[in-house]
Amino acid sequence: MDDAKREGQLLKAIRAGDRRALAAVFDRYADRLYRLAYGVLRDRAEAEDVVQESFLALIDRIDTFEGRSRVSTWLYRVAYNRSIDRVRERRRASPGVDDDAAVPMPRSLADWSKQPDEILVDREARDMLERAIGDLPERLRAVFVLRDVEGLSTAETADVLGITTAATKVRLHRARLQLRERLADYFGRTPTSGEDP
Amino acid sequence: MTCEQLVRYLSEYIDRGLDERLRVEAEEHLATCENCSVVLDTTRWTITLFRESGQVEIPAGGRRRLMERLSAALRGPEPGTSKPM
Repeated sequence: MDDAKREGQLLKAIRAGDRRALAAVFDRYADRLYRLAYGVLRDRAEAEDVVQESFLALIDRIDTFEGRSRVSTWLYRVAYNRSIDRVRERRRASPGVDDDAAVPMPRSLADWSKQPDEILVDREARDMLERAIGDLPERLRAVFVLRDVEGLSTAETADVLGITTAATKVRLHRARLQLRERLADYFGRTPTSGEDP
Repeated sequence: MTCEQLVRYLSEYIDRGLDERLRVEAEEHLATCENCSVVLDTTRWTITLFRESGQVEIPAGGRRRLMERLSAALRGPEPGTSKPM
């Protein structure tokens, strides 16, 4: 059975009050929404709240959900909008991203790409990754999480965020290069196992 | 292709989104420019690191609480209580 058909059956069952169908949709999408919300908010409790709000919105509108978009896209969109609303509440005004600004040339040219995979179990390195992504503007983070962590296509990401594919590509490019610079600052100073003595 | 152009097209190159002409020009440049090869390799590694470290999940306790609240919302309000949301 294809995904769309299966999704349609689950929605029909939820309309009828079937909690197992709700649990199936929850199991399928909750962690994905959580990663997007956490990606934007960098706060686990708030990310859980956003997941709850997104599913409550689905339940609230289940009778009028027309299936013009996939449930995943719809839920992602709600989760993103709720997350950005929370950012706005925090700051009163979310700083915009100048999508047309020139992308700066890379500063660090140290080759740290031969770092061993075990780096991910290093607490200090993980903290650095957390700080690096946390310092990105929220809208760049959202694109980066959807494209490079969740693996959505450019078109799907643009659809979720309500922006053009061109803007999606620019934001993704800026996010990747900014993160690369941050990692280069860290790993470029750390001796690697593959370096010459 | 210059280094500036390579950097401009880097993400599209990584995502295999460049047309044939630009892809060939990018590869010719990368074959002779060590700095741009480093930028390409480290950008790919950046993506890999964040992809692998970003696979966070809702903690078990939070998952259980969420599902309980959502199940209650699906059932509708108990007699004498207000509607959820």
